[in-house]
Amino acid sequence: VTLEALPPRERRRRLRTGTLRLRVGPFLVALQSTLPIVDHSLATLYCRHEVDQDAGGAHFNIRIDSPTAMRRLFRRQVQFTLDGFAPFIPLPRAMAPTMMEGGMNWCVGTHADQFIVIHAATLARGDRSVLMPAPPGSGKSTLCAALVARGWRLLSDEFGLLDPQTGELVGMPRPISLKNRAIEIIKARVPGAVFGPASQNTEGQTVAYLRPPPESVEAAHVRSLPGLIVIPEFSDGAPTTVTEMSRASAVMHLADNAFNHNLHGTTGFLRLVDIADAAPACRLRYSTLEEGISVVEERFARTWNG
Amino acid sequence: MTVISAAEVSGLVALLRDREAARTFSEQEWNQVLAAAEAARVLPRVAIDLERLGLTSGLPSWVRDRLASARIRGEAFARDVRWEVTCIRRALGGSAITPVFLKGAAYAAAALPCGVGRVQADVDILVPESSLPATEGALRSAGWTFVSLDAYDERYYREWMHELPPMVHAQRGTVLDVHHRILPRTGRLHPPTDRLLSHSIETAGIRVLARPHMVLHAAAHLFQDGELDDPIRELLDITDLCAVTPDPSSFWADLIVEAEALDLGRPLFYALRYAGQHLGLRPPATVSGTMTRWRPPPPVLSTMDRMVAAVVERRSRVAAQALFVRANWLKMPAPLLARHLATKIQRAVR
Repeated sequence: VTLEALPPRERRRRLRTGTLRLRVGPFLVALQSTLPIVDHSLATLYCRHEVDQDAGGAHFNIRIDSPTAMRRLFRRQVQFTLDGFAPFIPLPRAMAPTMMEGGMNWCVGTHADQFIVIHAATLARGDRSVLMPAPPGSGKSTLCAALVARGWRLLSDEFGLLDPQTGELVGMPRPISLKNRAIEIIKARVPGAVFGPASQNTEGQTVAYLRPPPESVEAAHVRSLPGLIVIPEFSDGAPTTVTEMSRASAVMHLADNAFNHNLHGTTGFLRLVDIADAAPACRLRYSTLEEGISVVEERFARTWNG
Repeated sequence: MTVISAAEVSGLVALLRDREAARTFSEQEWNQVLAAAEAARVLPRVAIDLERLGLTSGLPSWVRDRLASARIRGEAFARDVRWEVTCIRRALGGSAITPVFLKGAAYAAAALPCGVGRVQADVDILVPESSLPATEGALRSAGWTFVSLDAYDERYYREWMHELPPMVHAQRGTVLDVHHRILPRTGRLHPPTDRLLSHSIETAGIRVLARPHMVLHAAAHLFQDGELDDPIRELLDITDLCAVTPDPSSFWADLIVEAEALDLGRPLFYALRYAGQHLGLRPPATVSGTMTRWRPPPPVLSTMDRMVAAVVERRSRVAAQALFVRANWLKMPAPLLARHLATKIQRAVR
């Protein structure tokens, strides 16, 4: 049953008791909160995700709630915990959606070592995927959202999850995080786009989350092989330039953006080499989304559609 | 500190006593056991054991995934520690100093059961006090530097403690503690470093403490110097070190002799008592009989029993703090402790 098919009272009861277990790609995420903003954010952004009604546990047991009675009295704050452990300082309550998404990212980045985890936006068409490994602020989520609006299947705007046994990418479609101007740009481009409540992040930016397309959520189990590497860099007003990368520098760039390939030892390194062997890599400097989109689509078509 | 309930710890303790307990847990129990094992920093160890014993196959897929993640992390820890040990040996190779590796690094390098997937922040070595300047020099020229300390902390380590200030490797960021004794200079007990070094043994190309000394060091660390951060993990170390020994008949006899020689009878008494109570360690009957000579007076013992149980089961922060105070009380004479705490408090307020 999907979250939207669950009666709201049942949804809120499960959320209150920590038994709302959502299937998010390969993970079961158990959520606990008494805050209406969290319930609202989930109902808006995760409406097409499956609720697991049989499991008695989860990969991540997350709680997003007021920190303590004392703090509740004086300041309206919110705390994120994983199995009772709080990795972040409490934030103002309005930041709860950001804290929930950022917290889930932290879970995947630190507690999912069954995968080789790469910091990259990942999208697929059929059984081949595009990896866009880049640091925050490079515009990868914006480009990712624009490509998703054109029918690309969203794997994740944040992580490439690589199965170390098979070298396949595993999708984890979740809301796409957009900041500042990108929110208006995507709203203007994508008429039916649904956003959760906007809030500030710790850097003072406005963050809003874009609901992932139902088709991507429903196809989350479909695996794909790496097919293209594009390292995007948004540069206002600059002419669009594409710079081919050698396989060696592609591997190094993937390693720089991998959270844990070292934990997988030799296998970890060889899997990154496999990606670079299969997927041509380039740096893309762009100032308009149209040009960014056309470079990704042309290169993908040239490599995989003959 | 992660808040874990007593119920969660009881499942973990059952699993540490007998890995076969893995067959009996419900999904809800697994959810608690995994959280408790992570908080106690023994999840990678548990995951590797269950995989090796073939006990993961029938488990729910989310449990298997969490165990797989922890296993991969644990195997990487062991690899990293062995590499760090190699680097330290190379750094000291030219200076004719043969360090004795302590605790986690020794367990991992010597491939002991308690070295499997052991989570640790740093590597510890023991050298004679007379070799400290040469050791420091060789490590500095190989890229280790001292973390910057103020004058008070510098003095705290140099004059009062049993180790140099922590050293960090400039490129790898790994932390190394160079010990010249196993308990602070200022403490009540003074196990002689000479005896530890002269009894040390060669294994897998490095020097480590003899097995009885490993146990006594772990006991001293837990009940004399430690802050009881990871009581379950440390009791598991002690249990494993005693349960699987190269020569069981001489091990227990040597352990008693060495406890006497190092003046570590009381910490050993506590270690065996609580490893027995919580993790099921059973020394031979003769050993248990001998241990009674180091038993504290009844009121002290019942207080310790209750405090350790509360800390192991994470029932009470007060008990943890009480044991922290006790450890510091044993670490320094009262006037020095008063001064140390005053300095720390002043700093916290500032």
